[in-house]
Amino acid sequence: MRRNMFFKNTKIKKDDWDNVTVKVDAELIPAKISEVLNNIKITMGNSTDLVTRDFKTGKDGSIDIGIAYVDGLADKVFVQDYIIQPLMTDLRMTGLDIEIEKDPNVFEVIKNFNLVSGDLKEIIDLKTLYTHLLSGDTIVLIEGYKKGFAVSSQGWQDRGIQEPTSQTVVRGPKDGFTETLRTNTSLIRRRIKNTDLWIETIPVGNKTQTDVALLYLKDVANPKIVNEVRMRINKIEIDAILESGYIEEMIQDKTFTVFPTIHNTERPDAACAAILEGKIIIMVDGTPFVLIAPAVFVEFFQSSEDYYQRADISSLLRMLRYFCLFLALITPSAYIAVTTFHQEMLPTLLLISLAAQREGVPFPALIEAVMMEVTFEILREAGVRMPRAVGSAISIVGALVLGQAAVEAGIVSATMVIIVSLTAIASFVCPSFNMAISIRILRFVFMILAATFGLFGIIMGLIMMVAHLASLRSFGVPYLSPMAPMVAADQKDVFVRVPIWKMITRPSFISQSDSRRQATPSPKPPNKSTNEGGSQGENK
Amino acid sequence: MKINKKTALLSIAFFILIGLTGCWSAHELSELAIATGLGIDKTEDGYRISVQFVNPGEIAAKKASSGVPISVHTAEGRSMLEAVRKLTTTAPRRVYLAHVRVIIFGEELAKEGLRKPLDFLSRDHEMRADFVIAIAKGLKAEDVIKVIAPMEKVSANKIFTSIETSEKNWAPTKIVLLDELIESLVSDGKEPVITGVYLTGNSELGGNIKNIQQVNTPTKIKSDYLAVFKGDKLIDWLDESESKGFNYITDNITSTVGFIECEGGGTLTIETIRSKTKLEGAIENEKPKIKIYVTAESNIGDVECPIDLSKSKTIKDIEKKFNEKTKDIIMSSVEKAKELGTDIYGFGEAINRSEPKKWEDLKKKWDEEFKNTEVVVKVDLKIRRVGTIAESFQEEEDQ
Repeated sequence: MRRNMFFKNTKIKKDDWDNVTVKVDAELIPAKISEVLNNIKITMGNSTDLVTRDFKTGKDGSIDIGIAYVDGLADKVFVQDYIIQPLMTDLRMTGLDIEIEKDPNVFEVIKNFNLVSGDLKEIIDLKTLYTHLLSGDTIVLIEGYKKGFAVSSQGWQDRGIQEPTSQTVVRGPKDGFTETLRTNTSLIRRRIKNTDLWIETIPVGNKTQTDVALLYLKDVANPKIVNEVRMRINKIEIDAILESGYIEEMIQDKTFTVFPTIHNTERPDAACAAILEGKIIIMVDGTPFVLIAPAVFVEFFQSSEDYYQRADISSLLRMLRYFCLFLALITPSAYIAVTTFHQEMLPTLLLISLAAQREGVPFPALIEAVMMEVTFEILREAGVRMPRAVGSAISIVGALVLGQAAVEAGIVSATMVIIVSLTAIASFVCPSFNMAISIRILRFVFMILAATFGLFGIIMGLIMMVAHLASLRSFGVPYLSPMAPMVAADQKDVFVRVPIWKMITRPSFISQSDSRRQATPSPKPPNKSTNEGGSQGENK
Repeated sequence: MKINKKTALLSIAFFILIGLTGCWSAHELSELAIATGLGIDKTEDGYRISVQFVNPGEIAAKKASSGVPISVHTAEGRSMLEAVRKLTTTAPRRVYLAHVRVIIFGEELAKEGLRKPLDFLSRDHEMRADFVIAIAKGLKAEDVIKVIAPMEKVSANKIFTSIETSEKNWAPTKIVLLDELIESLVSDGKEPVITGVYLTGNSELGGNIKNIQQVNTPTKIKSDYLAVFKGDKLIDWLDESESKGFNYITDNITSTVGFIECEGGGTLTIETIRSKTKLEGAIENEKPKIKIYVTAESNIGDVECPIDLSKSKTIKDIEKKFNEKTKDIIMSSVEKAKELGTDIYGFGEAINRSEPKKWEDLKKKWDEEFKNTEVVVKVDLKIRRVGTIAESFQEEEDQ
């Protein structure tokens, strides 16, 4: 019922928008330049960054030309050198007038002989004009024609390609996505030189008209999932898209979960790897974070470096990460459960040592643990948000409050400080920040379960968590695949990372088409008989 | 909101399961008095229980403290449970018995029978059943429980570890856990034994902190001797050598030391590093017969007489002598048991294993038959190493 109502509301709204846009759509470009330029000025409220200009050119000044662009979006030097210069001087000086005499259609002559630009579009209606104008294109209008040109002249200031800050590696490429969509697609294109890499752009946001791009390998990606992603993006009716998080929240399968069902990355190499697995990349103009869909649980514990280090090292680190997942999830709750319910499980001496530390601590273990965890969360949040300049102050206070003073004052026990620190460190091992946060939320749930039901509560919590994970889907792909449902062939990149030459097929739970990745024979030492001469030479 | 049926069923199942867990109430560590030792003595119409609690602050303190590491509380009651519950009138916190390391019965109580007090120990859910049971030889359990020992501040833990290490390295003691004790109590073909503990020095001084402030601790807890039971009643003690014999028969020797006399005077000590005993029961000519095969590996550990170890004949001689000696130890232990008329070795069980049908008749009169059982011992000891010097320099000195 609720759902239907929701949709009904949006439908009415959508109609309203359509009515507005239809009016603009119908308006074609008038033949008079002054009328068009005036229209632009009025529509944009005479904004100060709007630059309009009209001038006369041609042999006898018979051709009236109007130009409009947005300062800051368009490259001023480009506009000067390649649009105004040819129109004003070349049209007058060179022999173009002969061409004009031959063909009185000035519009065509200018298009064919005068505008030195590779990306040139003819526009006839005002809506398209505004879209181009606001994307950084320069609008060129000619008196007497009910159409104009949009010359691509984008040239705004951007950040440039820098090392990603959120997903760092020791070994691997150091470039990261930027805020500019075009730069980002180029980073992908540069890595995958293949005609099958298709890029679709959908403008989203009624007010912002943000470009949202879908990137996928045509032959590898599952067309059903591509259609599903496209459909879900097309359904979005919102005024603004400022970051890919907007898209993520609006296209995920299920909203009532703490686990992220869409992955994001700042690394072009990680995005490429995803594309090559048959996944779909969703890029949003204005953010370096691109979305990867569909996403499965294990993916959040894979780092792109896993594939750049040797297989044995990566496998060890992979297992360490899963171990840390458990540490981050249940260390405080296990401590609470064991010290308040199952004291008989501890070795006697450890129990005595723990009991000695708890002497004089005024709070129950749960309160103690929650207090310390909350303190840590506050410190962490403060550390992220505070201005860089006051950073050291926070860390001093943090270390003193968390580490020493609280124990010395007898408010918390030393063991609890160890537990909280261990948990905190373990939660940062997870390569994906959003998964780490999910675990952090669940940790508090587990602590309450442990304080009420002991280890039994923890086990019940784990069972429920796994059941919940198994019920999740990401664009129809089971969240726990390839473990549930179990796909034996896809275990090569879950708990261990097998050598690259062993990864023969793509993960089958994402895409089944063109599944063979390689046919490299496994590396072997050189054949003795064929290489004998060489090795002998070396020995000498 | 409509709850679907599956979810409803699952949550009902979840809440029903809660009732099934054994551990229910939460207790903060600081609410517990952790008991490490339990002493049980007889009173006129019940028991006197003395519990050794640890004082966690004193035990784990980094700095030297003047406080006592343990404290002992006692209570009397008609039944064990009553006495334990009465402890709460003096104990500062809730008595927590899961970490009891040792339970000591007073000799007087042991003579009267252990069956009754054992019921509580095995019935109570909090007891962990991995504590060692000992008998206070010739004194009250309370006296042993309240002694402070050096190094191991919790003396109950000291008793546990010293019984354990001497069982492994010296052999005349035995760790008896609750399950094993109850099993031998109910078994027809086996009678229980329990290690004894006793004090050297003054028991009054033992409970004083001054006891551990001296280099040579005046009051020490020693574990030695095995208490022999008939049924659940203590009847006598095995001495050190007989206790060792007992451990040989029951295959409970990990490592031990024994000596033989040399021909020209002096002793030669042998360290057994591995020992395996096979106990076979049989009925021959309507008479029960027990065969004991001991195979052991030893090293020569200490030579204090002139002897030439480089000759293989010498080694053979030593082996032979040692076999004889071990056989004597075993036989004397068996003789003692026969004399007492109690089958502590499980000979009955051995016969039961080989001749189950005949055992059915035999077990009714086993107490008598045991005394007449023929026991054959065969010891096969091999000397593997002679240590880092072959010939002893004792010879040179003597010449």
